[in-house]
Amino acid sequence: MADRRRINGPPGATIPPIYEDASDKSVVTRQPPRSRPANAIRQTYLKTGVTPSASGSAYLEVEMAGKPGVSGLKLSCTVHGPRSLPRSSLFSPHIILSTHVKFAPFATKQRRGYLRDPTERDLGSHLEAALRGAIIADRWPKSGVDIIVSIIEGDQDRETSRQQGDEAWDMMNTLSGCITVASAALADAGIDCVDTVAGGVAALVRDDADNGKPKIVIDPVPSEHDKIEAACCVAYLPTRDEITNLWFKGDMPDDDMATYMELVQQGIQASKHANRVLVQCIGETVG
Amino acid sequence: MAQPTLTFPRPVFAKLSPHPFLLRSLCPQSESDPAGRTNGRAPREARSINIHTSSLSHAHGSAVIRTGDTTVICGVRAEVLPVASIPQFRPRAAFEEETETSKRAELKNYDLLVPNIELATGCAPQFLPGVPPTALAQTLSTRVYSLLHGSGMVDVEDLRIWKRQKKEGEMEVDEDGEEEREEQELVGYWVLYVDLLFVSFDGNPFDAAWTAVVAALKDTKLPVARWDTEREAVVCSRESRPLKVRGLPVACSAAVFLEKEYGEPGEGRHWILLDPDRLEETLCREVITMVVDCSSGETRIRAIEKQGGTVVGRELLRGFAGVAEQRWKEVSKAMQ
Repeated sequence: MADRRRINGPPGATIPPIYEDASDKSVVTRQPPRSRPANAIRQTYLKTGVTPSASGSAYLEVEMAGKPGVSGLKLSCTVHGPRSLPRSSLFSPHIILSTHVKFAPFATKQRRGYLRDPTERDLGSHLEAALRGAIIADRWPKSGVDIIVSIIEGDQDRETSRQQGDEAWDMMNTLSGCITVASAALADAGIDCVDTVAGGVAALVRDDADNGKPKIVIDPVPSEHDKIEAACCVAYLPTRDEITNLWFKGDMPDDDMATYMELVQQGIQASKHANRVLVQCIGETVG
Repeated sequence: MAQPTLTFPRPVFAKLSPHPFLLRSLCPQSESDPAGRTNGRAPREARSINIHTSSLSHAHGSAVIRTGDTTVICGVRAEVLPVASIPQFRPRAAFEEETETSKRAELKNYDLLVPNIELATGCAPQFLPGVPPTALAQTLSTRVYSLLHGSGMVDVEDLRIWKRQKKEGEMEVDEDGEEEREEQELVGYWVLYVDLLFVSFDGNPFDAAWTAVVAALKDTKLPVARWDTEREAVVCSRESRPLKVRGLPVACSAAVFLEKEYGEPGEGRHWILLDPDRLEETLCREVITMVVDCSSGETRIRAIEKQGGTVVGRELLRGFAGVAEQRWKEVSKAMQ
């Protein structure tokens, strides 16, 4: 049944615009190949305190590669709490995290609905796992905190994300952004953490230009590469040298342990880069 | 022994007893302490507005609005509604004359404008996700919906998709006979999904949301669409044309603050607070919104809404039109 609390539009189904050159592969403008070094992340802009009425908030923007001024990822995060749990809930000796990740309807190529879909729930649970390891949870018994991430722009430029199968890899970049922005918002809210957690992505890519030889890059942009074999998203605490969340996806031979380790190691490197931005941002606010 | 003094900072007073706090601030105390609102503004002073358009790459038109601590993002997205999927589609017969009324009815009957407001982004502590849209979110969406249709900003002509691409200056009804007419068949409409997301909420959501809608619609560029007979579908080319938006309606809201917190309205003094913030909004029952459009040179009132009390009478309303006119000038300046 249609959602009666919202304005649903015409009863018949509407179709997103189909472009006449969409099926014509030759016309598809290919994104220029990756120009930054394999161990560099994209320009990231982070700012805290965008929502004054929330306990803590942050805004993150990641520059679109190859197109200065156009951003690939825009996230806004608010933290509400710590606050007491409702009376009806059970006793909890530590703080209860509830994370919500929501794509704005205009965030992706396809229009998103207002109800949370499984990918958003999945991102939410990954985010919760990443943050739970960083928060000193037993400092607030019987309380809860809400962490809400709104994805204002969630994948790449409309022109470039037309190739099939990009979205699964974009999700990794989105998650790593969510972790970094939520960590900044938690710090802004003054919730005690053992360390600042930040997200990083590394991927095993195969480019025709390199004669199909696989190589590992950090902070991959799917459209810049011909094929992505595997990718991993790491949430990492730098001073403790601990990983709080690891998400690995892709197709890799199972006898090659060294590549697995290398991929995670590169993910940690990406996370360290993101952490530098995070610490600098928090330093500006506090200092 | 010195008497211990008990003083609280201002935010504590604002939280403990908001009504006396605002009242005291509005009453002039002494020469050194002039009357004003708790946010430092004069009663008839609105927050300055900041507009930024075309920042989203997936939307066909977008705008980000900031007024004080209220931030709204609006994205306009166009999708194709084929005529075949409209249940009660009735093509306009050749003898029927197209009037402004019939155009508006067409826009409304086929539901081509779909505005929705999302507040559950944690933009204020009372709006958390995981629950159905609040009453406020539903009311705001409905108000934007009715104003979009009522103001006649979008012409249905702009949203029609013809079987053959219409050229500039060509007459709609042609005299060359049957064959030509068949080519001028209507195959579909553009549906505009207008989605609004509150990033930060600090009072006066309607004005901010409406300004965002207008700015985003003015920024909207629709792809040029035509009917592809081979694929039997509407296809679009990469070139786009801007959506024509008529007029520039600007909403201006004010809240009426009463001296007595409880008791009959009309007793005691009252203040009209333009562009109320979150604290003021919770303390005021009577709210007035006026939508004016001065783009044609003279001030035209597009809508007046008033609820919650009887303080604002005919005289005040007339005066308020002047205030709204002033606000229109500020907003239209920010739009450029």
